[in-house]
Amino acid sequence: MEVLLAIKGKDFILTAADRTSARSIVVMKQGEDKSRALNKNILMLYSGEAGDTVQFAEYIQRNIQLYGIKNGVPLSTSAAASFTRKELATSLRSRNPYHVNVIIAGTDPKTALPELYWLDYLAASVKLNFAAHGHASYFTLSTMDRYWREGLSLEEAKSLLNKCIAELKVRYIANLPEFTVKVVDKDGIREIDL
Amino acid sequence: MEYNGSAIIAMKGKNCVAIAADRRFGVQALTLSTDFKKVFQMNERVFIGLPGLATDVQTLYERFRFKTNMYKLREEREITPSTFARMVSSTLYEKRFGPYFCEPVIAGLEKDGTPYICTMDLLGCITTPADFVVSGTASNQMYGMAESLWEPDLEPEELFETISQSLLNAVDRDAISGWGAVVHVITPERILTRTLKGRMD
Amino acid sequence: MAMKVELPQKGFNFENFQRNAVLADKGYKAPKVTKTGTTICGCLYKDGLVLGADTRATEGPIVADKNCEKIHYLAPNMYCCGAGTAADCDHTTHLIESKLELHRLQTGRPSRVSTALTMLKQMLFRYQGQIGCALVLGGFDVNGPHLYTIYPHGSTDKLPYVTMGSGSLAAMAVFESRWRKDMEREEAAELVKDAISAGIFNDLGSGSNVDVCIITADGVDYRRGYDKPNQRGVKEQSYKFAKGTTAILTEDIRQFVDVVEGDAMDIS
Repeated sequence: MEVLLAIKGKDFILTAADRTSARSIVVMKQGEDKSRALNKNILMLYSGEAGDTVQFAEYIQRNIQLYGIKNGVPLSTSAAASFTRKELATSLRSRNPYHVNVIIAGTDPKTALPELYWLDYLAASVKLNFAAHGHASYFTLSTMDRYWREGLSLEEAKSLLNKCIAELKVRYIANLPEFTVKVVDKDGIREIDL
Repeated sequence: MEYNGSAIIAMKGKNCVAIAADRRFGVQALTLSTDFKKVFQMNERVFIGLPGLATDVQTLYERFRFKTNMYKLREEREITPSTFARMVSSTLYEKRFGPYFCEPVIAGLEKDGTPYICTMDLLGCITTPADFVVSGTASNQMYGMAESLWEPDLEPEELFETISQSLLNAVDRDAISGWGAVVHVITPERILTRTLKGRMD
Repeated sequence: MAMKVELPQKGFNFENFQRNAVLADKGYKAPKVTKTGTTICGCLYKDGLVLGADTRATEGPIVADKNCEKIHYLAPNMYCCGAGTAADCDHTTHLIESKLELHRLQTGRPSRVSTALTMLKQMLFRYQGQIGCALVLGGFDVNGPHLYTIYPHGSTDKLPYVTMGSGSLAAMAVFESRWRKDMEREEAAELVKDAISAGIFNDLGSGSNVDVCIITADGVDYRRGYDKPNQRGVKEQSYKFAKGTTAILTEDIRQFVDVVEGDAMDIS
């Protein structure tokens, strides 16, 4: 029932995640932020089993921050995705593996090159131009396939994201009143209103 | 195997080998990417194709890259395809009672230039036929295509057409593989890499 | 970030087992393993013994290899036919081969068949039949010719003529009716060929060619492709495609160059 979306633009990545925290069929809380900043320019969105998600995300977050402190250089987006994949793949072979799906969105602070990685709980990692996790992918990927193109401006990406969310509101059975929308560009991560 | 879908084929030619793979990454019926890498170059003359569960494809590639790099540093020479195949086989058999869901295909040229191809099951049982090997969800279809199209002593360009047609027509009869293809032809002089136009349905 | 170095570990590794069980529960079944739905056999004759095998490997209903080798080398005076899970047969015989080689270097004398037999049965018993290989072991040592069968659970038989695999009944029928004590060399080879052929033609798991291996005090005569009753017909037409049939999107050619060490030769 959780929704994670991300769209790659010209020099940024636009992400959206629902704010609902649910258990079984009950909504427990509104206003949950399902993302963690791995460093200044990399954002990780997550969904999956409650408990596992935040635990895993914060573990990755702290380790990537530790890397930045130790080496004086922040980890690149591809390296962060590779590290996350390896941790997830290792956990998969343990007694109780993490059940977490993630999207890693990052923009290089120097070159302003945006990169977007999609990882499922089995630790398969793919680099994509637009990504979605969960049931939402069945509703939104077709819309993104139709309207996405290379070099989208922020306004164009926002309009595409609005189309996707509108589709979810019309066709998806789950009630998702609010979304956290963030932009990751070379200046950092910021939350915006659609 | 059926979770992500894949099709990989390798063929012998006259003093050359070719390896080809589809490019789809999907989760069951949902396609997410059409430029997924399943064939990896280990060194100048050795290629490995890894069809199967995507997470294991990536994990295995990382392990093989580590192992071949260590081999190169220790031995101060490049690994040959037949040695590499034994290494892959042992890596898989080590996990006999909890295997990786992947059935690798290896293609390359030996030190003296003789073509080498082989495939393995998920436990690491090596099969080395004289003509071609197939693996993945479209393997039944590829067996049929390759069995009728392949003939001995194909020149590199002829081999390219034969392997491409075998793969493309096979994946058209498989719902969860296809969406474009990539072919590598390895000859003693050069490596030819071509991406093919395929059906996107 | 903690540096993680993979160190080689001894023996089998079970880390994927749990995950695969979870995947199996969700309905994602593991790919099929290659099996040698096989006919293998062996018999004693006057001066030694003959081993025989078919050459088909299967993956479910698909023929995975039409000409595979099922008579594995163990020592210069010893060979072993394998049936069952192909990877298990390959790796088990390979492991014992290495152990025998080391044993010979240590002791400085030729391996005995009973040594190999004990190593194999102890290993298979330890794994309680989980390593699925059924073997026919034959060799010639100081005590003369020996022929054994070893079952996946580790039990063994010592008999003058033996068969194993899915075609074992067909092959045994031939031995039961025609095997005699103290046969001649070629007579024994022909009998083994006929036993394997019975498997090839009457058992669906067995097929293709007959491999035969004759072991005597003087050495080994390994006849790969001793009989080929299932040769493929010659193709009458060529299905070559004209160059350019396949539509190409991108092309990348990497030419190999020869790097010559040292200064370039003066050619003026």
